[in-house]
Amino acid sequence: MNAQDRTTLKKLIKNQWFFLLVVELGLAVITGIVNPRFFSISNIMNILEQVAVLGIVSSGMTILIILGEIDISAGANIGLSSCIMAMLLQGSDSSFLPVLVGISLAIGNSFLVGLTSEVFRAPSFITSLAFISVFQGIALAITKGSFQTIYGKFETIGMARFAQVLPLSFIISIGAYLFVHFLLSYTKFGRRIYAVGSNPAAAYLSGISVTKTKLAGFLLNGLFIGIAATVLLSRIGAAQPSTGSGIELRAIGAVVIGGTPLSGGKGRIIGTLLGVFLMGIISNALNMLRVNPYLQEVTFGFLIIAALAVSALSTYREKS
Amino acid sequence: MSEKETPFVCLKNITKIYGFHKALDNVSFDLNKGEVHCLVGENGAGKSTLIKILSGAIAPDVGEICIDGQCFRSLTPRRAIELGISTVYQDAELVDSLTVADNIFLGSELTSRAPFLVDKRSQIERAQEIISTLHLPLVADMMVEELSASQRQMLQITKALYRKAKVIIMDEPTSSLGMEEKPALMNIIRDLRNRGIGIIYISHYLEEIFEIGDRVTILKDGINMGTYNIADVDIETVVQKMVGREASAFFSRRPVQIGEIQFEAKNITKANLVQDVSFSIRKGEIFGIGGLVGSGRSELVHLLFGAMQPDSGEIWLRGKKLTIRSPEEAIRNGIALIPEDRKRLAMLIGRSIVENTALIHNEFFRGSTLSRREEQILTSSIMKRLSVAMQSELQTIEELSGGNQQKVIIGRWLLDEGNFVLYIFDEPTKGVDIGAKENIYELMVKLAEKGKSIIMISSSMPELISMSDRIGIMRHGRMIDIVESRTVTEEDLIKRFIGV
Repeated sequence: MNAQDRTTLKKLIKNQWFFLLVVELGLAVITGIVNPRFFSISNIMNILEQVAVLGIVSSGMTILIILGEIDISAGANIGLSSCIMAMLLQGSDSSFLPVLVGISLAIGNSFLVGLTSEVFRAPSFITSLAFISVFQGIALAITKGSFQTIYGKFETIGMARFAQVLPLSFIISIGAYLFVHFLLSYTKFGRRIYAVGSNPAAAYLSGISVTKTKLAGFLLNGLFIGIAATVLLSRIGAAQPSTGSGIELRAIGAVVIGGTPLSGGKGRIIGTLLGVFLMGIISNALNMLRVNPYLQEVTFGFLIIAALAVSALSTYREKS
Repeated sequence: MSEKETPFVCLKNITKIYGFHKALDNVSFDLNKGEVHCLVGENGAGKSTLIKILSGAIAPDVGEICIDGQCFRSLTPRRAIELGISTVYQDAELVDSLTVADNIFLGSELTSRAPFLVDKRSQIERAQEIISTLHLPLVADMMVEELSASQRQMLQITKALYRKAKVIIMDEPTSSLGMEEKPALMNIIRDLRNRGIGIIYISHYLEEIFEIGDRVTILKDGINMGTYNIADVDIETVVQKMVGREASAFFSRRPVQIGEIQFEAKNITKANLVQDVSFSIRKGEIFGIGGLVGSGRSELVHLLFGAMQPDSGEIWLRGKKLTIRSPEEAIRNGIALIPEDRKRLAMLIGRSIVENTALIHNEFFRGSTLSRREEQILTSSIMKRLSVAMQSELQTIEELSGGNQQKVIIGRWLLDEGNFVLYIFDEPTKGVDIGAKENIYELMVKLAEKGKSIIMISSSMPELISMSDRIGIMRHGRMIDIVESRTVTEEDLIKRFIGV
């Protein structure tokens, strides 16, 4: 109507999140036209269920990437902790203790990645790369490479549906997004995360302990990985060392597609949420369109490269 | 240089403007073959800008660069080297893990009959040839990491000669050298001059200039104050030209009631940086710290703030001895530091003004959930107090002008003013416009009136003299003198900075 409305509209169109949403709706409509089953309730719920675990992992990854860190051992960490959880569940009547142990283990693993990075002043990219071997190796050693089935002992978290429709796992992932949103926007710790990610030297000279903040970020990341492992184990009903492998790449992709640059100091969880949805919709659409699953992997790789290009171009534009 | 030929290098009417600041204002400069032309001036007088223009690192806004009769609007580093302009930097441009010879031929290696293979032997032979014609104490197959600071410098000179340099620029070449190494450098310079190479020699140490120079050009605040034959001029005149500003450059501040001693630093020492510095500051006092860049000023305040750990020394605040192991502890004990390098050490780039301002406040805040409303209200009140020009508090900080950015950074230390006793300002008005400068001065006086003690490091003479009650002078890591600013002149200060 007036000038102000027009600038708001312009801003909205330029907004990366708005763009993402449009792309997602566009993809959905196209897929829906080709295969009308895409819009069935059961398929939509299926998508939500599929993106739940990725969403939980991506929530933790968002914190780390804003801090200027990264954890590429997230998948291996899920593999190890879900194997341990499954083995403990096999010999136990209650599921509380095994889950507690599994989540604690995931937290400890992620903490180790952060701790070694801080102590040896190595990028967390490298330490987490090394820990992939450690986690996978341990998981292979204790399971001897075999499948650990839990015989339907522990199905509720992964399979239950709220009001017979909405998957509980999706509700858990929404909880993760909300928690991270609250943390980043309304707490002292959230401010420290942005400050450390944006300018560690300035944060240090402002009395913030950079090391403590980063380690706390890794602890939280571990918590989310632990929860994701629990949900995944419950849904699949079994675990093996390769469970969860490759999820770190999708999580990093979702965060970057959501507008959080790998250089840190910027980004919001809403972007990650949209990035996760994009991943879910594309994956589902490719299935619906009967695209060769191997080519689906190729698609995801290129998608992440494209997101990195967009992020690099926008920082380049800011500089010039 | 006696006969009237056209100079080899001729910079004509160069002007370079950074934002609102004229780094160079219509400066002309020339250099003959076989001449040592010295460039002197205070920190920030424009010496570095001038040589960066000649070496092609930056382009002038106005003016012309003529080399050997060819004239250009601007140069690139590559073009400058091709034209025979080489710069000897403090420490740059050398690869530690290669030999002396490798470094000389880096990028244009000699190859043997088989292509791609470096002909090590002939490289070493050629390098040794150049080295021995200059009588340099260098060995061509030595690793660069084993070289001393002076040998590294000689290597750079050798490299310049290999590239057929006709002009060599030396920026503070003696600052990294020991006493006994200086005469050797002077001999090399004389030798180069006799070979017909023109040398631009920049140094704070005026006695060197009188020893080695043929001509001297004095810069002050981006203006050429004159070019003289060394034989026709004395140290006294040069110093006078370097300083001596009009009264309008000085700020007149209100006097503040000065109370008892509030802060004391005793024998602060950190190897190679700061030696045995002691001083005290009273309540309401502004204590200036002056000295050349590299004299240990910033290092000293980083030691006081816990960002570096002193080897020995004590810090006392309000009669209590403090142990400060980190900035966190310094802040908790009531010390604030507004660092010099805004972009690198203070600004949260990409974050909003609110977040940048509330940074310190949040650290004092007990509990973990913040009130965003309160943050915003506090921020707007402090931004109003400092008259920051902005559209909204939610703008990111890098969208503001330099002066306003600085005000935001200062503002973050004012939200919890009551918690602080000592404010340390490191170059508080660097890259800041006149209006913002006066706001910042006013603010410092107000803090003093509230009984704070203030340390102000500054490279600006007028600022040091007009704002400080006393001035501590740093030279080579020592605080060599503390003077009353009422009784001191710019000339006195610069003489003590450079030690003449």
